[in-house]
Amino acid sequence: MLALIIKRILLAIPVLLVVASLTFVLVRIVPGGPFDADKNLPPEIIANLNAKYHLDRPVPEQYLLYLGRLAQGDLGVSYKYVNRTVNDILADAFPVSLQLGTISLTLAVLVGVPLGAIAAVCRGRKEDVIAMFLSTLGISVPGFVIGATLIFVFAIKLRVLPVGLWESPWHVVLPAVTLAFSPAAYLARLTRASVLEIVEKDWVRTARSKGLSQWNTVLKHILRNSLIPVVTVLGPLTAIVITGSFVVEYIYAIPGMGRFFITAVMNRDYDLILGTTLVFAVLLIIANTFVDLAYQFLDPRMRIED
Amino acid sequence: MRIIGDDRYLISAFAKRLGHCFLAMLLLISVLSLSACSRPRSRFETGVLRVNLGTEPPGLDWHTATDSTSFDVVSNLMVGLTQYTNKLTCAPSCAKSWEILDGGRRYVFHLRDDLRWTDGKPVTAYDFEYAWKRLLNPVTAAQYAFFLYDVVNAREYNTGKLKSADTLGIKAVDDHTFEVRLRKPAAYFIYLTAFCVSFPMRKDVVENWGDRWTEPEHFVTNGPFKLTKWQHEYKMELAANESYFDRVPQVKLIKMFMVPEASTAFALYENDELDFIDNRSFATPDVERYRNSPEYKNFPLLRANYLAFNVTKKPFTDVRIRKAVAMAIDRSIFPRILRRGERPATSWIPPALPGYSPDSGTKFDPAAARALLAEAGYPGGKGLPKAELLYPNRDDVRLTVEATQDQLKRNLGMEIELVNQEWKVYLATVRKDAPPMFRNSWGADFPDPETFMNLFTKDCGNNDTKWSDPRYDALIEAAQGELNAAKRADLYRQADVMLCREAVPIVPTFLATQNIMIKPWVTGIAINPLDLQFFKDVVVSDTEANQREIR
Repeated sequence: MLALIIKRILLAIPVLLVVASLTFVLVRIVPGGPFDADKNLPPEIIANLNAKYHLDRPVPEQYLLYLGRLAQGDLGVSYKYVNRTVNDILADAFPVSLQLGTISLTLAVLVGVPLGAIAAVCRGRKEDVIAMFLSTLGISVPGFVIGATLIFVFAIKLRVLPVGLWESPWHVVLPAVTLAFSPAAYLARLTRASVLEIVEKDWVRTARSKGLSQWNTVLKHILRNSLIPVVTVLGPLTAIVITGSFVVEYIYAIPGMGRFFITAVMNRDYDLILGTTLVFAVLLIIANTFVDLAYQFLDPRMRIED
Repeated sequence: MRIIGDDRYLISAFAKRLGHCFLAMLLLISVLSLSACSRPRSRFETGVLRVNLGTEPPGLDWHTATDSTSFDVVSNLMVGLTQYTNKLTCAPSCAKSWEILDGGRRYVFHLRDDLRWTDGKPVTAYDFEYAWKRLLNPVTAAQYAFFLYDVVNAREYNTGKLKSADTLGIKAVDDHTFEVRLRKPAAYFIYLTAFCVSFPMRKDVVENWGDRWTEPEHFVTNGPFKLTKWQHEYKMELAANESYFDRVPQVKLIKMFMVPEASTAFALYENDELDFIDNRSFATPDVERYRNSPEYKNFPLLRANYLAFNVTKKPFTDVRIRKAVAMAIDRSIFPRILRRGERPATSWIPPALPGYSPDSGTKFDPAAARALLAEAGYPGGKGLPKAELLYPNRDDVRLTVEATQDQLKRNLGMEIELVNQEWKVYLATVRKDAPPMFRNSWGADFPDPETFMNLFTKDCGNNDTKWSDPRYDALIEAAQGELNAAKRADLYRQADVMLCREAVPIVPTFLATQNIMIKPWVTGIAINPLDLQFFKDVVVSDTEANQREIR
């Protein structure tokens, strides 16, 4: 297992280098620059700004400078938020997204997986129809509609939960539910398909015929095996959910990092774009490593020999 | 397939478990609701004002900030030599008086002697000298350094042609006397002394803390409020500054939230979680819903929208066609489709400023417009090439350009192709090679016609129309140096006529407005046409008068 982890870390370096390089090139291809605004600045002032941020140097030199800073863990400075570094911005925003994302993901797993399992076990009955209706709803209704509806019902009409902001634990409830909706629906569909496939397997019948209790059959044989595809998607899903959601953070006014994936691009805030992309890439790599480790517990056949 | 074995047992066991979970959640929600209902929340807190900034201010260093969000905060934390009144004049502030000498080329400001920074140190003329020199230092890379380009040697120093700041026309004569020398008379210069970029700054604080000097633990200011808390991307708290030289504000605390989504901010206002909201927190349907509420108010702003031509591109190389377009657009359509009380405009100088005349622009006259078009060789629009109209990707802008497209088709038979681009791409396109037509807007930096009229001079970096006329440039230059107010206004008026009626490189369309809602327990909020919000005179309390309204 240690070998797997070490191998993953070593592989992560070239992957991150490719991600950083591609993003570096892409952001510079897009028309418009960080200092374009409705008030056009005199060329002398643009020159001062470009000099301050080394944007006057040739692009290959900028690239090397960037890699040099990156190697020291410095993600650069924000051109939009003039007195803040990208490290500062992400250090403030990521914990908020992480907190909200973890709660949402837990909620999604706790609701989505049992819902999918029930739907599969009750295939074709009304429980299945209800569960699949809910999950289709969760996948197809966009987050801003769910968010607005929840705000309208619970905050404006019933007045039991706050409209938005990030002040107390009560403020977490609506955004967490909104953020959990789509992953929960996705997990439910996936679990249902997977359980349906597993219950037909010979070894499930064998387990039952040898007199294993129903709960043992479900938990040890059906669920455990049908969780493999679920765990596979949980990797990228975790990275997506814990880096925050633009929509949820916007409608609930939550100071997370999801918004930067969009606003940094709109502002052509080059280093911030690179910073958010790299953080996402790192989290994705970590989450996928955990997925590989989880496989080994779920299915001994996948165990890698050290 | 039917599931083998006694699956009914399985289902019921699962369902039971799940049922328990849901029951638990239901219980949680009901407990929550009960606890929320049992605690009657007061609708406001006396002395605490809650407002929405919309977004994180990009920075509170007033040398590098350029946006209205940052200036909204800085305007409440700092004061300069003078300050704007809501009637758009300059009143004494840090400077108790000033003299204008040498025909408008030299300004001498006399500072009050009771000025204090929030850490107790006196505010001196040296703080102004340091600040202005820092603004112009190329290393600061201040985007708004050009505002001081009228100061002797400022441009040369800022562009690196002069290395020493000592040659600048900026000098603290003693603790209470600050002298500025200009390279030419500039009648609008006094307004710049009330603008954020010219506020004083503390050398020791800036140099000690570097980029972090604006964080609350280091920040030192001289205005009615001081920054006590800054949770980035979320909230700022400003407390009344007890050492402010003028009246200490009655509001003890301002909570400035950064709620980016207008509908959320509006819901927060409706739920009494915000006391004051403006355009940033308003969607048009909400304006419609509350138009008749006593809490709603609407003010015109010094932000003008216009349609511009690239006069080097056909068919708009012909002034008759540009004039025809200007006459074929009924400006009253804009407030009807945008529904925020916009003010239709035909002249480039807004009504609030000197030099404005309702006759400067062209009137809506489709018949005359058609005649002009026929004269130019395109009767009924026949033979006119399809012209491209570029606009930035925003809903309200889309509505206005669609209305323009419709009017030109109906009144002139002119075909317009609408092209939209993302904001920064749009800016890059317009600057590099503007299409035949594009939609733009301009907000005033200071309350003087100069801020609008300078835009279309030959050397202005914002003149993307490619139009220029030495006569226009001469009028503007003469107006800049004219110290007689009436003569000056007349010069600008003449230039406005040239711009909107004779040469027509642009077609002014409408002035934007500020829509606000204020809770009945809040009084004293002042909105000025520059869209700066000053909270120093605000009172949040349940006075008897307020109570009546609240009930």
